[in-house]
Amino acid sequence: MIDFSMYDFKEPEIMAYKCEKCGTLYYPAPMICGKCHSRRDPVSDAHWETFALKGPCTLLTWTRLWNLPEGYNKKYLLFGIVQFDNGLRASGRLETDNPVTGMPLVATVVSSDERPGKPVNVFVFKEAE
Amino acid sequence: MAKVGVVGIGHTKFGNLSEFDLGDIMAYAATDALEDAGFLEKRKEIDQVIVGNMASGLFCHQSAVASSVISKMDMEPVPAELVENGPASGASAIKIGYMAVASGMADIVLVIAGEVMRKVTGWTGTEYVATMLHPQAEYDMGLTLPGFGGMFTRMYMEKYGLTERDLALLAVKNHANGAKNKYAHIQAECTIEAIADGPEANVVNTYVAEPLRMYSTCPVSDGAAALLLVNMDSPKAKLFSKKPIRIAGIASATDTHCVHNRKDPLKLDAVRIAGEKAYAMAGLTPKDISFAELHDAFSILELAISEEVGFFERGKSFLAVRKGETEIDGRLPINTSGGLKSKGHPVGATGVSQAVELVRQLRGEAEEGRQVRDPKYGMAVNFGGFGNNVVAMIFAKE
Ligand SMILES: [Zn+2]
Repeated sequence: MIDFSMYDFKEPEIMAYKCEKCGTLYYPAPMICGKCHSRRDPVSDAHWETFALKGPCTLLTWTRLWNLPEGYNKKYLLFGIVQFDNGLRASGRLETDNPVTGMPLVATVVSSDERPGKPVNVFVFKEAE
Repeated sequence: MAKVGVVGIGHTKFGNLSEFDLGDIMAYAATDALEDAGFLEKRKEIDQVIVGNMASGLFCHQSAVASSVISKMDMEPVPAELVENGPASGASAIKIGYMAVASGMADIVLVIAGEVMRKVTGWTGTEYVATMLHPQAEYDMGLTLPGFGGMFTRMYMEKYGLTERDLALLAVKNHANGAKNKYAHIQAECTIEAIADGPEANVVNTYVAEPLRMYSTCPVSDGAAALLLVNMDSPKAKLFSKKPIRIAGIASATDTHCVHNRKDPLKLDAVRIAGEKAYAMAGLTPKDISFAELHDAFSILELAISEEVGFFERGKSFLAVRKGETEIDGRLPINTSGGLKSKGHPVGATGVSQAVELVRQLRGEAEEGRQVRDPKYGMAVNFGGFGNNVVAMIFAKE
C-alpha cells in the first residue's frame, strides 16, 4: 500500500505583486513598476514581494457565457470581475446561483485542465459564507 | 507631411468563404482595388504592399501571407510586409501605409487585409480569438471576447439604464443598412418584433453572453478588402482614374491589456485618445463628421465608441438611437455598411472594410437607400482586443 499522505499537495495559488520600493500592488505581474519604474526580474522576483491573491472581494460585473470555447463541455459558465479590499481587481469564474453586482464574494483558486495544454490556475469567486 | 489619398478600393463579399485560400481572397480584393484605380497593368510600380491579418497561423495554419499574396498577383519584386494588431489589423495596416507615404519612403502603397475564420468550427474559432486576451489573467480563466462584451454591457446597463431592447434597435438599424450592401455577410433585415418584442423573441434571439444576445453579437465571417494609397502631392497622383479621397486623420492608441486594470472599466481610453488625435490631425471636431463606421463586434461597442469619440454625451447615445438619429437618414448615420453586425467581421479585414465604406459613401457610390446625402467627412473606429489597441480614421471628400 502506498501512503499518499507523505506527499505534500500544494494548494493552487495565483500570485499578486508588490513593488518593495514604492509599495504599489499589481495583478497580474508587471515588468516595470508604473509608479517608480523599478524593474522586475521574472526569475528571481528580487525587490518584489509576492502574495497569494485570494479571500474577500466584491463583484463589479458578471456574465453568463454560452458558446464556450474549445475544451469546455458545459452548457454555460458564469464569469465576473471582482475587486479586493486592497484595490486589486481580477477576472475569473463565478459560482453562485443568483449573481448580483456589488455582492460580497470569496476568491478561491482551482487547477483547471479543460482547455488544451497543461493545467492552469483559475479564480473561482464563491458566495461569502 | 505629404497628403495621402485613396484612389482605389476593393472588397470581397463577406460570408463563409472557407472553401477558398486566404491568399486568393486577399488577391481578389486587391485586384479589385487596382482595377478601380485603373492601375492593374502598372501594379509593379507600386512602392510598397502592406498586408493586414490577425491570425492566419491559427485559422489557416499559414504564415507569411504577404509573400503569398504578392506571388499570386504576379507582383514580385514589390516589397510586402504583414501588420498584425488583432481585430484592428486592417486599420493598422492603413496607418502603416499612411506612414510609408507620409515619410517619403513610398508614393504608392497597396493595403490588403483579410481573414478566413470559418475553416475551423465556432468552438475552435472562439478559442483562437480568445488568444488575444491576457494569457494568464484572462484567457486561462476561460474568458472570451463575447464574455467581456457581456460584462461591459451589464456595467453600462446598470449605470445608464440601457435596455436589451435598445441593443435590439441597433441590430434592426444595422441590418436595414446591411441588407442593401452588396458586400454584407447577412443581407437580410430583421424586425424589432422578431428579436425583442414578439412572443418568440427569446427563442429567435438567444443569449450569447448575458445580457448580450445573438443579435447584439457579430457573425463569424471570412473576407478581404483593399485600398490603393497615393501621395497626393506627387506627380504620380495623376496616374489614376479616380479622384482621391483624402485621409485627413489617422491615429491609434493603447490601453491596459487586462480589462479589469482600467481605473474605470466603462471608459475606453484608447478609443477616446485615438479619436482626439485623429480629429487634431484633421483639424476637425465631432460636429464636422457626416457619418461613421464604428466597430460593433458587440452592439454595446457602437454606443460606447460613439460616446468616446464625442458624438454623444457619456451614457446618452442610446437615447439618440431611440430617436433614429443614427439611421441612414438621421442626423449622424452610424454603420451605414451594416456594421460588423450585418456586414460581418473577418477580424483582420474589418479596418480596411470600414475604410472602403468611407470611400464608397464619400464618392457617392453606395447602393440606393443607404447612400448618405452629400457627406463631407467620414470617420471609422477599428477596435483591437477588448479596447486595448484602437485605430481611428477620418476620410475627407475633396
Ligand atoms: Zn514601484
